[in-house]
Amino acid sequence: MSTRPVAIVGIGQTNHKSKRWDVSLGGLVREAAFRALEDAEMEWSDIDAVVLGKAPDLFEGIMKPELYLSDALGATGKPMFRVHTAGSVGGTTGIVASHLVAAGRHKRVLAVGYQKQSEGNAQFALGSGQGASMGAGGAFAPYMRGYIHRSGAPEDIGPMVAVKDRQNALKNPYAHLKIENISIEQVKASPMMWDPIRYLESCPSSDGACAVVLTDEEGGKAAAAAGRTPAWVLATAVRSEPFQFPGRDPVRPAGAVDCATDVYRQAGITNPREQLDCAELYVPFSWYEPMWLEAHLIAEEGQGWKMVEAGDTALTGSFPVNMSGGVLSSNPIGASGLLRFAEAALQVRGMAGEHQVEEANVAVAQAYGAAAQYYAMWVVANSLDPFGS
Amino acid sequence: MSRTRNDDIAVIGWSVSPMERHTAKSETQMLLEVVSGAVDDAGITRADVDFTCAGSCDYVAGVPFSFVQNTDAIGAWPPKSDSHVEMDGAWALYESWVRLLLGDMDIALAMGSGRSSTSDPAILYPMEMDPFYLAPLGADHANLSAMQARTLIDSGMLTERQMAEIAVRTRRDAKSNPLAQVSGDFDVEELLAADYVNAPLRLHDMPPITDGACAVVIARADKARELCENPVWITGFAHYTELHNPGMRDLRSSTAATLAAKAAGVDEAPIEVAELQASFTHEEPLLVEAMGLGPEVSVNPSGGPLAANPIMATGLVRVVEAARQIRVHGRHRTLAHSSSGPCLQQNLVCIMEGD
Amino acid sequence: MRTSHERGIAEVTITVESTIKFPYKRSLGPVIGPFMTALAEQRFIAIRSGSRVICPPLEWDPETAAELPRDFVDVGPAGTVCTWSWVSRPTEQHPLDRPFAFALIKLDGADTALTHVVDVESIDQMSTGMRVAPRWRAERLGHITDVEAFVPGEEAITVNGGVPGEPVTMMSYDASITYKIPVSDNTIKAHEATAQGRLVGLKCPVCERIYARDRGFCPIDTVELTDDHEVELPQRGVVTSYTIITPVQYPGQTETEPFSRVMVLIDEIDVVMMYQPLVDVPVEDVRIGMRVAVVWASEAEKADAGRPGNLVGWMPTGEPDNTDPSLANRIM
Ligand SMILES: [Zn+2]
Repeated sequence: MSTRPVAIVGIGQTNHKSKRWDVSLGGLVREAAFRALEDAEMEWSDIDAVVLGKAPDLFEGIMKPELYLSDALGATGKPMFRVHTAGSVGGTTGIVASHLVAAGRHKRVLAVGYQKQSEGNAQFALGSGQGASMGAGGAFAPYMRGYIHRSGAPEDIGPMVAVKDRQNALKNPYAHLKIENISIEQVKASPMMWDPIRYLESCPSSDGACAVVLTDEEGGKAAAAAGRTPAWVLATAVRSEPFQFPGRDPVRPAGAVDCATDVYRQAGITNPREQLDCAELYVPFSWYEPMWLEAHLIAEEGQGWKMVEAGDTALTGSFPVNMSGGVLSSNPIGASGLLRFAEAALQVRGMAGEHQVEEANVAVAQAYGAAAQYYAMWVVANSLDPFGS
Repeated sequence: MSRTRNDDIAVIGWSVSPMERHTAKSETQMLLEVVSGAVDDAGITRADVDFTCAGSCDYVAGVPFSFVQNTDAIGAWPPKSDSHVEMDGAWALYESWVRLLLGDMDIALAMGSGRSSTSDPAILYPMEMDPFYLAPLGADHANLSAMQARTLIDSGMLTERQMAEIAVRTRRDAKSNPLAQVSGDFDVEELLAADYVNAPLRLHDMPPITDGACAVVIARADKARELCENPVWITGFAHYTELHNPGMRDLRSSTAATLAAKAAGVDEAPIEVAELQASFTHEEPLLVEAMGLGPEVSVNPSGGPLAANPIMATGLVRVVEAARQIRVHGRHRTLAHSSSGPCLQQNLVCIMEGD
Repeated sequence: MRTSHERGIAEVTITVESTIKFPYKRSLGPVIGPFMTALAEQRFIAIRSGSRVICPPLEWDPETAAELPRDFVDVGPAGTVCTWSWVSRPTEQHPLDRPFAFALIKLDGADTALTHVVDVESIDQMSTGMRVAPRWRAERLGHITDVEAFVPGEEAITVNGGVPGEPVTMMSYDASITYKIPVSDNTIKAHEATAQGRLVGLKCPVCERIYARDRGFCPIDTVELTDDHEVELPQRGVVTSYTIITPVQYPGQTETEPFSRVMVLIDEIDVVMMYQPLVDVPVEDVRIGMRVAVVWASEAEKADAGRPGNLVGWMPTGEPDNTDPSLANRIM
């Protein structure tokens, strides 16, 4: 193996809102980048390369925006790389950045994801500008109904996830949705948007950005020596599968299972539920929490909803999920995957503030995209050898 | 030179689609064919490929998430380790190369595809520019490139006649390229007699509108040796960008091209052939100078982008043409270049060597 | 002389026109905003970065990305053309509807060039180094086109003086791109079949999986599917999953009332038709296991040119529901 250790030493994100009309597009991505650089105690000149991820350019009406944003992100005279893997793009962005360090190409890489949804209209863009757009909710709703039907999960599981994530968001200063005293009754009373998904079981549409500074073993150890705990990237994995073929299972997609199997194997994880301390998963609609707990092998098939019901996935539960409030609380699409990856790193660094999980040593993050067919995952830890192998 | 380091990575197969003004085929169909062609050329099947990465652009396709359909072409069942860049396929090759450098995978496949024929570049490309200061003026690549050409002319670095001579040479060279869309014998005087399209650019200074796709297979050294008699080794690979707004740059040079060529090791040994993504005639001498290529270097023997310009694959086709010079024409060391953004904002250089 | 040019022009293909049109709204932030506000007041401002004066202004130094203090300075209104190009055939996106020049214009006092247009009658009046000044638009919004064009000379052509107004914080950008996308042979055949009241699919010769008639590929075997692979599909099936969508409004939205989309597993054959409309079924009656059959357009409906296709949707057959619990596994 030619892989070198990779450390996350800087994390920043914007204050996510439905309309960040106080900043320009450049200002938005820089707000996240400044915070990441400050956290890493670095200057723009310390960065060797930038990786930018975002979902469709049609959302803001700027084609290949990495060109316009090159100088905003300090990439003048440096490499600027742009990835786009649908909803999983933020995860892919972190992974591509980590590979640039792991392969020895660069010492310090800045990964940035963003979306400024208020400049356009995602529903319009998803329908290619045509009428009767189902939106992402309409596309995923039949999968979630399939899960409910198959697992026999009680109706309240979705609302429970919605409440739990919004409660976590109250502890996250950057989260978009802040719904004080949210209750299951309130969620169930909200309008049914894409049956079985209600309004309050859906993600918001957000403006926001996330930035992560990744560096090599030397950089990671220097940060640790200076009292700034790095998060070490133990493993990364991506998978794609066709959007449709007869018999394809979008409820428990093979790509989701394979991606998890691969990332756990590389990280030396044989029992995810026991060896992982928490998970930050891409849950844009409430029912995806139990679905991913199962497809990513944290729960047995058909048992994910029981973890939700038992409160295991709450911030104080035995296996906290989406401590940040998740996609359900903030959804700047192109940044959403990187926000998951960054939250996992924040947790193992012990820097998650009010939404910190106690004793979080190893965490997994995941993002998915398109027809639940693109997957990106990484496992991070506060040491290079958390299982003492 | 014999290679034993397993960190070395080689091009072992490729395929380029027909280059057409209008294709009736979808991007997926074009990709299906070039992926089949490239894996055949490498003597493998899709199942042998450990990692795939595609380069394409939603705005070229006119559909958000357009690359999702293209997953049909790669053989992603069982699910595949796969990625996508909203960049030319040359950058997809870069990501694939970095992925193989990690050492746990042996074979990767990079693709690029685009159907430029479906929209008017003069309407589409302003969308790529500064959204506040440039896009609302309708400034496209041709408008901005024409200003760069005039800067070179005004500085005495180039004449319109020399630009026409470049067009004549590339079109003549393109005659031996069965994939060329524009080729033939032309007369400089006749070209110079034509009207300007975007003065100082005439039609011959500009690339054709092309639909096309390309796929390249790369492998780590042990696998490359096992599969291929004459692997083409990637010995240097780098890309750089500059600030965006052309009004804030020195348009007489291309800093990013200089940095990329240096980082890829351009001056470590002689380059025999350079395949440059010089989409406008004036970009060729600019890039040659920026990369420090001497007069002995043969530039764009395929005809380059002036002969066929499948946007989002043009750069990856340069890699194929530079590799072809080694595998088919017995050259030893060649260079491929790709570019993106207004006035050569972003530049990539891939240097390859034979055994 | 000419042996060939423009090789490979394909046979005439049927294309469908699709226009992506959207009024984007952009927030300007603390630097572009003041610049646009100044334009509305018929002034140009730049921003200092060390000893350099950058116009149009950015929030950051474009070389170093350093955040710039908001140290604005007036520049212009006249300037010098650094380079230019001539547009013989303007598009609808250009500020002028007659031939004009694009130019990089270094406004007096600035170290970088602003890109804009120069309005002259002919290319002969353009030269590098020429002096130009803005001709301001009468109705200014705080937009880069508040300068209608630059014109030769030293004197700005102002309209009623520069009156300070409200700060400009937003900008609109109306994108409209028309694509002519070739229609695949499989899509044409799919339409032909529905016009004849036939439901057809394509069967992979390798794995025998069946795909929609317009799919074109088996992604498992990566083989192209063509006419040779066409199979007739029964026109009945069972709902395996569904959703009911409450429409949200956006530009181009055509729906106003909640509508359902169902997955239909076709009888006797292993294929699911996804996201199908239901006809004349109250949304509260939609359920997994419901037996349905195809509804084709009536002759009158067929004659309506605005109709997208002849397959209107699916209607309950009235048969008892299919209660097989494994149905829910067949979303695709
Ligand atoms: Zn098949």
